Amino acid sequence: MNKTLLGYVPEESPIYVIHPFVKLFFMLVVSLFPMFITAPEWNSALIILILILMWYSRIDIKILRFYVPIAISMGSVILLTYTVFGGNHPEFITLVRVLGIRIYWERVRDAIVVYFRILPMIFTMVFFLSTSRERDIIVAMRSIRVSFAITYLFAMALRSAGMVMEDFSTVREAEQARGFDSAGKSIAYKLRRYIMYMVPLFAISLRRSEDFTNALVARGYSFTGLLRNPKRADYILTHYQFTLLDYILTAVIALSFVVLLIYRYGLGYFGLEDSLIIGWLRQLLI
Amino acid sequence: MATPTSELTAEQIWTVEEGEKRSVGVIHIVICALLIGIGFVVGAFGSISFPLGFGVNFFWTGIAVQNVGAIWFGAWGVIAAFIFPFFSNGIAGTPFYVSAAYIPANLFQALAPAWAFRFFKADPRLNSVRDYVILLVAITVSNICGALYSPLVVLKGFGLLTAESVPIFIWGWFGGNEVAGIILNIILMKALSGVVIRTPAFVKKWWA
Repeated sequence: MNKTLLGYVPEESPIYVIHPFVKLFFMLVVSLFPMFITAPEWNSALIILILILMWYSRIDIKILRFYVPIAISMGSVILLTYTVFGGNHPEFITLVRVLGIRIYWERVRDAIVVYFRILPMIFTMVFFLSTSRERDIIVAMRSIRVSFAITYLFAMALRSAGMVMEDFSTVREAEQARGFDSAGKSIAYKLRRYIMYMVPLFAISLRRSEDFTNALVARGYSFTGLLRNPKRADYILTHYQFTLLDYILTAVIALSFVVLLIYRYGLGYFGLEDSLIIGWLRQLLI
Repeated sequence: MATPTSELTAEQIWTVEEGEKRSVGVIHIVICALLIGIGFVVGAFGSISFPLGFGVNFFWTGIAVQNVGAIWFGAWGVIAAFIFPFFSNGIAGTPFYVSAAYIPANLFQALAPAWAFRFFKADPRLNSVRDYVILLVAITVSNICGALYSPLVVLKGFGLLTAESVPIFIWGWFGGNEVAGIILNIILMKALSGVVIRTPAFVKKWWA
């Protein structure tokens, strides 16, 4: 696995033959799917599909460990806000009463529905971050003719994020070399230390801005506007060809979204009414 | 001869002097990119360490980049302010479209302090009580607007919250941004404004 700014990508993967734009398009379109799907089993199926794609792409599934605390914290927040802070609703079915708080069936159901809508979005994002390098984002932007200034801004932003991370480690290592050890200190103390890191990080970046600018100006770059897109040679794009497979995949992704909309709004699928999981849960709890 | 930084008044900091030419240059693109980079890293720290959920945090360090970046670098700081949360929220697992829907809140949180400092000619070095009051009011108003917009419009709109749980997220957003904003903005502005206002990257108007 190779570490990138955005995550970990496999060293070799069959997904690398796919054009970066298709991967970005997949993330943008498939992230929309759960917004139109209410039934948790269909959102679970989407998660399984993404997991299969991750396995096929040779992504180390262990990277999901990083997202487990996020998924748990998000799940807990959703469950708490829907049940404990869900309000008083005499019209709902009470499941249980804990310390004077009524837990309603409808609230538990809604919490599950929302959670299963969020999870596929997270998985789609993780899949994208685990199959795309920083350069892929730039290539995808250039492929859809985003202006050079904006693409360059993104490229520099990603590069500078890497440098800020390096600066951050340098500052911390310098502290450790002088005997500083934050082990065993309180969170408030660590937070205070972190806040103080921001001053050198900003100062270094400000100083670096002039070096960056001088380097760019020396290479003949000049600002012609954020949105102007003059014709220019695009070296990076010469390494990425949009093949027939990419056209097919783009069409399949777009078409599956259209099919989803037709099934949802035309034929009434993916709703809560005929959800198997919700029906089963209802029988179990009530 | 140029006036030494320490002798510059707040009025002079924001006024384009006669004969002074200010134009957008490569340095502004560079500074915008660097702000996105810093925001990415420090914003992700807040998003990962103190999450309340859906990109709302108890202590969001990224707010300092939004506020201070926009005060110093005008529209370039504002642009950075709405771009970097895509990355910082993204690596913390926030769905892309939730981050996209936060754009107006992130824009306003950067825009309000930048406008207040320019309109009231406040000193970014925070030399007087008036400067502190303008900073405090500007970030408070912008955080209130952000806190009302995001949980009410975005999270409720996506069906992620119940009406009863909206106040928790409003307070979470407001508190997480306000406390972090006050602490970090004051430290950064006191420490670095004196240097920044002398750099060619400093923006007196909105773009240059």
